[in-house]
Amino acid sequence: MAKSKIRVLISKVGLDGHDRGAKVVASLLREAGMEVVYLGRFQTPENIVHAALQEDVDVIGLSCLSGEHLSHTPKVVKLMRENKMDDVILIVGGVFPKEEIARLKETGVDGVFMGTMVGPVVDYIRENVRGGRV
Amino acid sequence: MGNESDKAAEAYKARAIKTWSGLPLKELYTPADVKGVDYDRDLGNAGEYPYTRGIYPSMYRGRQWTQKLLCGFGTPADTNERLKSYVKQGANALDIIPDVPSWIGIDADHPRAEGEVGVQGVNLTSLEDVEVMLQGLPLELPLILHGTNTMASPFELGSWVVLAQKRGISLASLRGTLLNDPLFTFYCSWWPEDKLLVDLALKLGIDAIEYCTESMPQVYSSYADGYNFREAGINAPQELALTLSKAICYADKCLERGLAIDDFAPRLSFCFSAHIDFFEEIAKIRAARRMWARIARERYGAKDARSVKLRFSVHTAGCSLVSAQPLNNIVRVAYQAMAAALAGAQAMDLCGYDEAVNIPSEEAGILSLRTQQILACETGITSVADPLGGSYYVESLTNRLEEEAGKILREIEDMGGIVQAIKTEWVDRLIDREALNHQKDVETGQRIVVGQNAFTMDEAQTLGDYHRTRPQSEAEQIANVTRLKRTRDNRPVKEALDKLRRRAEAGERVNLMPEVIEAVRAYATVGEIAGAIRQAYGFRYDPFGEVEAPFG
Repeated sequence: MAKSKIRVLISKVGLDGHDRGAKVVASLLREAGMEVVYLGRFQTPENIVHAALQEDVDVIGLSCLSGEHLSHTPKVVKLMRENKMDDVILIVGGVFPKEEIARLKETGVDGVFMGTMVGPVVDYIRENVRGGRV
Repeated sequence: MGNESDKAAEAYKARAIKTWSGLPLKELYTPADVKGVDYDRDLGNAGEYPYTRGIYPSMYRGRQWTQKLLCGFGTPADTNERLKSYVKQGANALDIIPDVPSWIGIDADHPRAEGEVGVQGVNLTSLEDVEVMLQGLPLELPLILHGTNTMASPFELGSWVVLAQKRGISLASLRGTLLNDPLFTFYCSWWPEDKLLVDLALKLGIDAIEYCTESMPQVYSSYADGYNFREAGINAPQELALTLSKAICYADKCLERGLAIDDFAPRLSFCFSAHIDFFEEIAKIRAARRMWARIARERYGAKDARSVKLRFSVHTAGCSLVSAQPLNNIVRVAYQAMAAALAGAQAMDLCGYDEAVNIPSEEAGILSLRTQQILACETGITSVADPLGGSYYVESLTNRLEEEAGKILREIEDMGGIVQAIKTEWVDRLIDREALNHQKDVETGQRIVVGQNAFTMDEAQTLGDYHRTRPQSEAEQIANVTRLKRTRDNRPVKEALDKLRRRAEAGERVNLMPEVIEAVRAYATVGEIAGAIRQAYGFRYDPFGEVEAPFG
């Protein structure tokens, strides 16, 4: 039996409106054969985790371009832990100084991506996804 | 490494046959390519219709471009300190960007503002914040107010008015620019209800234009911005067409309000991106001047030469910057700024080289100012107006940009104008399609981005000290706002807001600025003022539905 497709939730978090990157990543993951739910702008950590549970995703991808990643991302991590989402990987994309990439990873983010290439994001998801989907 | 160079050489060959936007290029341009150009009709000298060659006869000999340096972070006091430093370094305008809660029109103590206060810009919740931010800074300097295209616009303009009045400065003497482009923000989306608010956004934009036309005649009160569309993903002719279609929309709305074209068009300004294709960007701007001149004169019958001249500011393309090998961005920005100078910009705002990583550090900000100063004072390219005019290539490309943009503009007009193109999400689809295509070209290496998909390095360059907003800024600013709300005299606040709400209910043509100004003077907040207007227009007080209107 064919294995089912990797399911990804992509969302903006907080009030930042820069959504070019999030939409492009969502489209290219879809073209790479994944099933993608794009939540859009103005999402809270609660909305995001709720939608991720509803949609039974393997990956949550957050996009932050205005420096608010350090305030919102830890809340997403906390809610994922409370909901025992151990098999879901969390990735964050946007613009971050080097030191903050380390801080995001300490917080519990699995992958941090900066810059304009989506290819490495696809590879990372395929290599790290935990639920057995492809 | 050799392999990578070969790949890049291949991609270069493919790249050389077209512009960044995909317009085909010959390898040599000759008189045959400009055969149809009539000098007087299509170019004219600088300072003469149709202003293709520039809007002033002496260009930069007469007046340098305004060297802006965008600034805003943390508390108003944090930004005050940085603004003072920039002025000391030679910035000749105060270019201020608020944080996202301020743009949206919610107060610093709003639950959804948590983690966002002072992050992307400076928090401006009440007049008190504007007073602190501009303390010790001369209001004689031009003030450039970002955020004057959102629900925060009435509050921001009102704060400028009240501050000037308190300092005893006449409104008629104030100079500066409102980034009053109410249609642009739907594409950075500072409106949580999104396109439902298009008509209210336009109404508030026209209020500001009408108020300034009467009371602050030196202020550039309306703004047609192509930059943010371009950043969202579109190409040069699309940027040109969308920008002009917005200027047409604002002109139509002002006429509907009862203003004459020569009342407000002299105070309309434009903003364009300076992207990385040097000649295409120059051609885009030369075409823009010619197109607007013809629109203003032929379509609107403008008589005042100032209505017909397209004045513009340039912001260098943030989306062209690369986070890997960030020092390379210094070079990108310098080329873009040179294109802007050769195209005849009236003002420039250059990205910091670290902007693909963070809000620019003070060092990066000052470097971007020095880049402008070197360009203006050392290179000599400012000595002669439109130095590229008459080039077979540049004139031919200018014609081509005009032709391409003209086609898109007509397509938008056929839809019923830019408002329809926005409401039907035609613009959204255009942006999404172009952004995705661009990304695919980068992913496949068809488009070379040095440091990103070619000439990469394992060991990344490191930046100098990067910008950090003080971690306590947010808590301090929330405390400032809660203290203000606790200690201000609430009776005049309530009265002013009630009056504003009643006026707002009186219809779209009623200008709300006088009531807004009184509410600002009473220290009503940006959220309270926006909320009163929102309620009168049938929207809930709080865009997120989490905060109740104060005072019952």
